[in-house]
Amino acid sequence: MEPIELRRRARRAYELGRARLGAKAAGAALLIAAAAVGLGRPLEISALLCSALAILTFALAFGGGAAGRAVWIGLAAGTFAMLLPLAVMTAGCSMFGPACMRFCLPTCVVAGGAIGAVVAMLARRQENGALEFLAAGASVAALTASLGCTLAGAAGVAGMAAGTILAGTPVWLAARAAR
Amino acid sequence: MCRLAEGDREAFEAVFTALWPVLRAFAARALPVRAEAEDAAQSALLKVFSRAAEFDPDREALPWALGIAAYECRTARKARARRREDLTPEMPEAADARTPEDAAVERDLLAVAADLMEGLSALDQGTLVAAARGERDPSSTFRKRLERALARFRKQWRARHGAD
Repeated sequence: MEPIELRRRARRAYELGRARLGAKAAGAALLIAAAAVGLGRPLEISALLCSALAILTFALAFGGGAAGRAVWIGLAAGTFAMLLPLAVMTAGCSMFGPACMRFCLPTCVVAGGAIGAVVAMLARRQENGALEFLAAGASVAALTASLGCTLAGAAGVAGMAAGTILAGTPVWLAARAAR
Repeated sequence: MCRLAEGDREAFEAVFTALWPVLRAFAARALPVRAEAEDAAQSALLKVFSRAAEFDPDREALPWALGIAAYECRTARKARARRREDLTPEMPEAADARTPEDAAVERDLLAVAADLMEGLSALDQGTLVAAARGERDPSSTFRKRLERALARFRKQWRARHGAD
């Protein structure tokens, strides 16, 4: 095989390897969405959010760099934030009955805050591309958490996003100031 | 390699340029047939790049790549052995496909071996003949056995001729 042809095939193999990595991340996003549907979230909205999440995770993991590193962190933090309102609803409804729904919105805000703090803390440890890591990680985590926060409707998603920004920003700014 | 694992496409050229000659030389040493060595090296290179995204930056890159190359060389050797086994019952003459020169060398070797290795065991003789024919088993057991057989062979030689 000619070196040029070999180089072309090696490059193709490399890109396919990266696509495989992206597919793994997208597969994880599908599994998380399946879990959300299994826990009672509506199929339509979950499918919509899952599609966006799968595309985003695939693109970030395929592209690599700091954003690629943030994908799995974002998925893990987002899964925790997704499960929190669902767990509160399940536990709360067994204790408080239908009134349990009033806990959903605050829980989404708290879950968003946890996402923001965790991703910002991990972003400050990055030697390069910290801002890229923060943006990618927060986006993936917020989108993942939305799968659970739609429980409280659009307000739940907005509350979660606000919590992410409100908790993440001070942590990020403090980290930057400390550098 | 770490940059490539991170998704830095600009590192591709440097890794390719550094890795290809190393893998090629490694395969050439591991496989006696040049075409097979080339195939194994190319296959190893493609696998290295295919798995580059999964490379752990805490590991050493070269041993990792050579591990893949070693696996490819082993696979090539096994494939050759299988081909040989498949051909033997249908084409018995293939076993004698050696050149007359090879046959003469082997006869000489066997004659010298028969003369010098009278004191050696049948196992040692078999090991040395297999090594002389180039039918070396890649296992460490064979390597150790060959070392011991050669040591005993040298001892016999010194006993008869007084020098190595």
